[in-house]
Order: sequence, then C-alpha cells, then structure tokens
Amino acid sequence: MRDIQSIGVIGLGTMGAGIAQVFAESGMTVVAVETSPETLARGLESINALLSGAIARGRQTEAGKEAVLGRIQGVIDVAALHGVDAVLEALPEDIAIKRAVLSEVAQVVGPQTPILTNTSVLSVARIASLIPNPARVAGLHFFNPAPVVRTVEIVSSIDTDPALVERLVDLVESLDKVAVQVKDRPGFLINALLFPYLNDVIQELDDGLATAEDIDVALKLGLGYRTGPLEMLDLIGLDTHLQATEAIYQATGDARYAPPPLLRQMVTSGRLGDKTGSGFRTAGELSTEGS
Amino acid sequence: MENRTVAVLGAGTMGAGIATVMARAGHHVILFDVSEDNLRRGIDTVHGFFDVSVQKGKLTDEQGRVAKSALHGSTSLADLAHCDVVVEAVYEDLRLKKDIFAQLDDIVSESTLFHTNTSTLSVTGIASGSRRPERVVGTHYCNPAPLMKLVEVADGRHTATWAHDATIRFLASLGKTSVVTKDRPGFIVNRFLIPWENSCIRALEAGLGTRDSIDAAVLGALGHPMGPFRLLDIVGMDIHQQVATRLYEQLRDPRFFPPPMVERMVAAGDLGRKTGRGFYEYDDNRLFGS
Repeated sequence: MRDIQSIGVIGLGTMGAGIAQVFAESGMTVVAVETSPETLARGLESINALLSGAIARGRQTEAGKEAVLGRIQGVIDVAALHGVDAVLEALPEDIAIKRAVLSEVAQVVGPQTPILTNTSVLSVARIASLIPNPARVAGLHFFNPAPVVRTVEIVSSIDTDPALVERLVDLVESLDKVAVQVKDRPGFLINALLFPYLNDVIQELDDGLATAEDIDVALKLGLGYRTGPLEMLDLIGLDTHLQATEAIYQATGDARYAPPPLLRQMVTSGRLGDKTGSGFRTAGELSTEGS
Repeated sequence: MENRTVAVLGAGTMGAGIATVMARAGHHVILFDVSEDNLRRGIDTVHGFFDVSVQKGKLTDEQGRVAKSALHGSTSLADLAHCDVVVEAVYEDLRLKKDIFAQLDDIVSESTLFHTNTSTLSVTGIASGSRRPERVVGTHYCNPAPLMKLVEVADGRHTATWAHDATIRFLASLGKTSVVTKDRPGFIVNRFLIPWENSCIRALEAGLGTRDSIDAAVLGALGHPMGPFRLLDIVGMDIHQQVATRLYEQLRDPRFFPPPMVERMVAAGDLGRKTGRGFYEYDDNRLFGS
C-alpha cells in the first residue's frame, strides 16, 4: 500500500508532463509546478495531448481524461507545494537550476518530506547535497515516454533512508510499473547498459557495417527487439542522448560512453531525430555506406 | 524463382533447420553429412518439424507429404553434382569448410552458388578454399532457421555481383528477409549481441542488480522479448562462450571477452535450458514449446 497520495512534480517538460500524467492516472493528487504562465500552459497542454492520444489508442476515456486533469493543479509558485506527501523534480539537467529551485522547495515542504529526482545525468548524492536532510532524497527515474515504459529505477544514494526505498517500491507498484532498485552510479542500470550499445551502433553505421535500416531490421528480426537501435535514438532525441552519454563519459572516463563523432555531427547539423523530422531513420537519412 | 536443387552440408541443428526452410519453399533438397547417424537424426528433425506443422494446421497433409518427399540424405559429395545452390552448415572450423568447398569445385557446375552459414569465421577465408571464390556468399541464418525470417548476407573480398544478386533473389524466394552487411566478425546481430550480453553479465557480477532485477528492468524498459539472462539460458552458456571467444580472438576488443562467470557456469555444467539449469532452473529441457 502506498502512503504517498499527493505529489509535487516540478518541471513539465517531456518527462515531467508524462510523469505527472502517470501519477494522476493512478489516482494521486498532483501539484504541477512551472516557472512561468507560458511554460505552465505548454506543460498542461502536453498532458492534455498525451491523454487525448491515450483515448485514441483506447487506453483512456473522455470521462477518465477529465478526472485525471481534475487531479492536476498547475501552479507557478512553489509555495503551493506546502503539505504534499512528496516532491519529484524533473527540471533541466543543470545543477544551478536544480539548486535554485530545490532550495526554495526545501523551505516550503516539511523537513521529512521525500524529495525525489528524475535526473538521468547527475548523481543522486549530488542532488541530495543541495538540501537539508539528504536521507529523504532518492532517485525515481522514469524512461521516455513515461506513460508507456514500465520500468522505473529507484536510486539510493549513500545517504538515502532504506525505509524511503520501501515506500517508493510501493509507490511505483501502485502505478502498475516495474520497480527496479539500483545503485547511484553514472547511468544507474539501464542507461549504463544501453548507451555503450547505442554508441557502438552509431560507430558501426559510420564505419559502413550496413545501412541504418538494415541494422534496425537485423536486430528486430534477429533478436525480437520491438524497436531498432537507430529508431530508438531518433525517438530519444539525439541531443538528449549526446548530453546523457557525455555526462556518463565525464563521470567515468569509460570510453564506451564517449559520444561517437557521427552523433555530434548529427546534433551540430540540427538532426535531432523525430522531433526535428530528421535523424538516423527519419527523413533525410544519411548516406554512410562505406566505400 | 523455379524450384532448384539445394544441398545443405551438415545435418546438425542449423543444417536441419536450413534444409527445412529449403524443402518448405519447394526446392529439392539433399542433406549431406559424413556421419550416417547425424544424417538420420537430421532427417528426423526435418520430418518432425513438418509433422508438427501439419498437426498445427500450418501445412495440409499433402503439403507436409510433399515437403518431406523433397528431402533426401546423402553421405557422398558425389551425389551433389546437380546442385544449383550449396549451403554449408558444418562445424565452425575454417579448414573443414575450405576443404569441403575445394572438393565441391570438382563435382558441381561452374554456376553453382556456394553459401556459407558461418557465424564467426571470415567469408573471405572460407571462400579461399574454392578455386572460384567469386561464387561464395555468406548467408547467416538465425536459430531456429524455420521460424526466424532474418538472414545476414555478407560478400567476401572476391564475391561477384552476380553471385550476390542471385543470393538475394534466392533468399527472397525462401520468404526470408535479407540484410546486407560486411564480412566482419559477428556481422550485425552477434556484433551487438555479444558485448550486450557480456555487459549484462558484468553488471550482475558487479552487483549493479540481481538476475531478476536486470531481466525485469530490461524487459520493462527496452522492448526486448526477454531479459538477457533468459536469453543466455536459451542460447546456452557454452555457445555464448564459444562465439564470444572467437569474436574476441579476431577483434581483440575486451567487450567481446566472456566474463569469468561464463567460464564458471560452463565448468559447473550450468549451460542453460538444455541442462536444466543456467541462470534459472528448469523442470524440463524443451527449448521451444512444440
């Protein structure tokens, strides 16, 4: 049984909006925080669009959508977080922004209120160091798109209270997701395993092993993967992957995480994947056939 | 494409599977093996597959009968004189593969295609056994061949365009999806699968997760049909060790080197489903629910 019934979600970008939807769909009360009326409107609109998409796929009803939206209160003042059972930050991966916002949040919520981070780039310990009582800080790492992907990583830092981890397992299971407890290492578990593989694929594409399409087809038909690695990169966003793998590389010095040159070139040239309509598999596929 | 005469060399798991594919597609098939026992087992495997297909309603009685009658066995290479296509699926031994192609040069016609199902050796190296390396093409099927649509196609250094093009057409006539790759160790699938499985094993050894949490995390996050340890149990730890070691020997890239846990599991006989215990334990040793 989860004991967290209300939650503040700070930052309504792609991840924050999806996570707010997941919490609200499970019956929780969500206080959704953005920095300006414009960004708040955009965030709430994207939740609205996600729910409409869910209706189109038969996963949600009109009445259900209204009920979900009714449980989400959009605000631009962190003071509205007073009294929530927990807070989850999904802010940009910038330590200065996180520090500024979280120190304000810490003054509003109770001293024991769990403060959770959806970071995929920074260590949980680093975020815990920004606020008083680091024992109440843990990682709750959702994957994109949050309403669809079932795995959620629960990250303990060296300070995290084990009792909090138990509460988070209950929370994640109440969302009909798979709770996986992981260590506070760069990339946690999934990204630490996934990124060397994705980087390898990009390098082999550049080296002319096969076309982007044939690499995806081979891995989908040969191994039964639902998504080929290059389709997956386009979906994740090449800029997002570059930032995340670069951060793990910086943190570990492990060459498997070093961004391959082609990845950087794609981002520099504005080919960011599905969101720009041009990536490895979307329109304007590069010709990288070796000679 | 009209029906051809296809020889499949080696009546092991892959050879029998490939012979099944050929017979089902309407080709006349000669399954070759040096051992009478292996040959009999291979033919039984193919017949068994067609019997199950009929039971499941995937083939009519008549189709099953025709497919079975399209298959003949032989222990003599001389019987392969009229083959249009030869697919070798013998042991992963370069000398053996080269030698068998060299012998076939004197038996088959000049236009016969030579296909090699090698998974870890160089197509160019195998082709060098033939005096006509331009007719040799790598065609790597996935196990179980009758059920998996993918075939990786790799030309050797001297493969001719006509041989490559005829191979693509032939594979399409089998209902296979071919992807074109280079003659590099592991082609596409093993090139990415082996380091992936090794890094999952290393994560387990390092305590980043448990067998169950890593399998569950991958299953829930990445859209794979099963977690890495379930897959290793099906592949077999001995096979994983062999493929990983062979790729490592060629690439000298430590990501391909099997982690120490693999050696320990092989030493203990915990090879996976086929021995009843690998990462998981099994009540029976059936690989596929047939």
